[in-house]
Amino acid sequence: MSPDQAVIVAAVALPFAAAALTPFVFRILGEETGIVGVLVALSSFALLLTQYGAEGTVALQWIPSLDIALRFYVDGWALLFALLASGIGALVFAYSPAYMHGQSGLVRYYAAMLAFMGSIVGVALASDLIAIFLFWELTSLCSFVLIGFYTADDSSQYAARMAMLITVGGGLFLLVGLLLLSVMAGDVVGPASAFDLAAMLENSDAMQSALRDRGLFVPVMGLLAIGAATKSAQVPLHFWLPNAMAAPTPVSAFLHSATMVKVGVYFVGRVRPMFLGSEWLLLFVTLGLTTMTVCAIMAVAATDIKELLAYSTASHLGLMIAGFGFTSVYGAEAGVFHLFNHALFKAPLFLVAGIIAHETGTRQIDSLGGLRRDLPVTAAITTIVALSMAGIPPFNGFYSKELLYEAAVEASHHHDIGALGRLYPAVAVFGSIFTVLYSLRFLSLFFGDRPDELGPVQSPPLTMLVPPALLALLAAVVSVDPQLAVDAIVQSGLEATAIDPHEMHVGIPTSYSLPVGMSAVTIGVGLAAFPFYGRLNGSIRAISRAVPQIRPNWWYDAIVDGLTDEGRWLADRVHNGLLRTYATWTLSGTCVLALVGFVAAGAIEPAELGVEATLSIALVLLVAATGALAVALSDSHVAGVLTLSILGFMIAIFYILASSPDLALTQLVVETLVLLIFLLVIEEIPESYAIGLRRSIRDVVLSLAVGTTAFVTVLVTTSARPGGSTYIARQFAERAVPEGGGSNIVNVTLVDFRGFDTLGELVVIALAAISILTLIVMRGSGDGGLIDTRAGNELLDNESSDDERLEGGLSEENPLEGGPSGTPPDGGNSDDADTGIEGGDTQ
Amino acid sequence: MTTVIMRTTARVIVPIVLVVAISLFIEGHNLPGGGFIGGVLTTTAFAIIYMAFGLDFLERGILGRDVDPGKEPSRDRVVVAYRRLFAYGFAIAVASGLAPLLYDQPFLSQTFVILEGIPIYDHLEVASALAFDFGVYCVVVGGLLTILSVVGAE
Repeated sequence: MSPDQAVIVAAVALPFAAAALTPFVFRILGEETGIVGVLVALSSFALLLTQYGAEGTVALQWIPSLDIALRFYVDGWALLFALLASGIGALVFAYSPAYMHGQSGLVRYYAAMLAFMGSIVGVALASDLIAIFLFWELTSLCSFVLIGFYTADDSSQYAARMAMLITVGGGLFLLVGLLLLSVMAGDVVGPASAFDLAAMLENSDAMQSALRDRGLFVPVMGLLAIGAATKSAQVPLHFWLPNAMAAPTPVSAFLHSATMVKVGVYFVGRVRPMFLGSEWLLLFVTLGLTTMTVCAIMAVAATDIKELLAYSTASHLGLMIAGFGFTSVYGAEAGVFHLFNHALFKAPLFLVAGIIAHETGTRQIDSLGGLRRDLPVTAAITTIVALSMAGIPPFNGFYSKELLYEAAVEASHHHDIGALGRLYPAVAVFGSIFTVLYSLRFLSLFFGDRPDELGPVQSPPLTMLVPPALLALLAAVVSVDPQLAVDAIVQSGLEATAIDPHEMHVGIPTSYSLPVGMSAVTIGVGLAAFPFYGRLNGSIRAISRAVPQIRPNWWYDAIVDGLTDEGRWLADRVHNGLLRTYATWTLSGTCVLALVGFVAAGAIEPAELGVEATLSIALVLLVAATGALAVALSDSHVAGVLTLSILGFMIAIFYILASSPDLALTQLVVETLVLLIFLLVIEEIPESYAIGLRRSIRDVVLSLAVGTTAFVTVLVTTSARPGGSTYIARQFAERAVPEGGGSNIVNVTLVDFRGFDTLGELVVIALAAISILTLIVMRGSGDGGLIDTRAGNELLDNESSDDERLEGGLSEENPLEGGPSGTPPDGGNSDDADTGIEGGDTQ
Repeated sequence: MTTVIMRTTARVIVPIVLVVAISLFIEGHNLPGGGFIGGVLTTTAFAIIYMAFGLDFLERGILGRDVDPGKEPSRDRVVVAYRRLFAYGFAIAVASGLAPLLYDQPFLSQTFVILEGIPIYDHLEVASALAFDFGVYCVVVGGLLTILSVVGAE
């Protein structure tokens, strides 16, 4: 069955359309806007569900001249991910109104969430490289808005900036990788589908050998891996994910568990058939297992329930990446099935964390406990999903982790990877022990003693309870009968990500094998170590406090602060508010770039200067040259401007003589206008001023450089022209009348053939006008404006830090209090206001 | 610069310049000219008015309002009109580019029809590019006049 184009496009477009309409909906429904979100998400879900079993590509024309289209490719893997995103999206929307009750900025929240969901569904379905990249970066943008939702909160802003920097930066690596891939695909599958990922995957063997032939296999794989690793928070770029818990909890549930962070994993699974090989195994298994272990250890060190869950998410993402890294079919099974299972248990865990924070007012692990009596239903939900996260049989997380063990054991048997063959299974077990530990710790919030200082706890509203309960129910169903999930969707996902898929069977192991033994060790050691949890927690935190360099967060701060200082240093020299500085840098930069470019391209060669000028042209140019000299020698502005216009008019006459009346007209008119403008403002310019020797030398050197560059450019560009007119010139001349219907080729080119360029020029003019307006308005607001702003910012900073102290880390607004790694430096953004323009524009 | 000679000359040449500007704009498709040149020339006509009669002349003399001396130049009624002009011009250009999409043509593709038997002209060619060119004209006039009056008012 081939997919229905209208349905697929509607499923992707619906959330975006709803996001655009959110302000109007919010005016009518107010805080109940979440219901609309539920409906939209459910509609997308239902639309996608109708495509169940479909496979194929649908395409909308987009940029036909480059063969870029809005292509969507539907198969089991895409549907699995898109259904997860929209399904969990619906539950999060249902959960939101109660959780976000009474907060401001809800329009932004709902609009961003809808767009977020739409872009994730877009990534899942897109098969055009450009579309993938666009949707990919859209998810980064939306998550930036959502993580930074609490705009008054510094840590939230810090986390949002960090997430943006890391994921968008990684997206740029991805872009380079995708472009290289498309260059390759142009040769292998034909230029018509150079951007079509589905076509590449169909010819994955040919693609792989072509990439290897050109030596691009490892670079492209590496670039895609960096993109996926930043998005999916792999070590050492994992640190943005725990910081991202500054977002409201429903966002975390959506972002951390179901979707955005899994986009990287999803993409790795998607391109897996094309890159499968020993390099792939080495890169992704190492990356994944390192992430899994490091983040599991960090999760054990967490003091905040959301921090624990965030680190555990990164750890599980590592598990999926490692799964996809193993080249055997078990690897793909582990990756696909764990992606599914993880969504089922992590989303409810975050929603439960939201319930706890909402009802108790704290998220500190140490001040929580014995919530079973106050929140019995929540406790039941948590029991199912936490045990599933721990990988305790028969809960669903167990099956997918077992598959990872199988893949690890299988890799050590069937591949010649030396010592790594033993190391991989050992690391997998080691990391999983910590998984058991922190899962049990989360569960223990509901059991054991209730701390005395914990106030009265109300039960949550039904709308906050039903979404996690539904997910837990699903998790329970999968736990009881995993084969059900496998048959329904996991199998079809497997077929898209593995090259040698087979019938997948999952169940409780009935006989001993090495993976079973590994599971037994994991659970046994985990249970045995649990009594020492407090000591473990303390010692890991002590280590990370003692050696801050082992935290990537520390590196991030050091780099970002260093760059800020560098930027300030640079700004003082390049961007100091003096017009002459700008002119110097711009002109010299242009000259250097142009000249270096000519030299690099080997364009400069001793060419003979064929002087073919007629007497009239020579005469005109002579007058122009004299005018130019007179400009330099004139001692008053009026004389300078007038002589300058002599030069301009002479150039216009030159154009007429060289038979280009359009250019001449433009030159004449612009020259006149410039002269008039000069005359208009000339009274404002001071009569004359003395300039120092250094500056006049600099000016002379600069003008000589500009003159040389212009001269060389003219020489090079005209000498490179083949005899007669070029192909393009002939085409324009031949096609102007029949296709553009005008005999003025210049104008026909401007509006018919190169309309896009003209549109760009219009943007330039509009921008120039707007920026001049802005400049004048800004200056009009008073000369002390900058100083005022800075004082105001300091005031604001003081206020916000006062607020933080008052809040005492108990509320959502300050979630990072006491975290071992997520603590933002106070100085990180307080100096932003100092970059204002100083010095003024004094001549 | 508001001398009598200047004013008298301006009275005579401004209409001529404007007419030339419009004709340049209209016949741009077949003869030298077009939206950009037409726009710049129109702006030149305005600049001559400013030179001869001062910046407030348009507001006082043509719109018949007293100028509020304390007002910022960017809030000036005339400047607001210019700003609107280039915004609309831009919208026209983009809309004329989007229109072909309705006919399943790529963005910004143009076409033309030749009408026969029109009185006086007999043979008239109407190019869809004229709409786009009109957008160019408006942006140029609006943008340059905004710059001119804001800078000139300083």
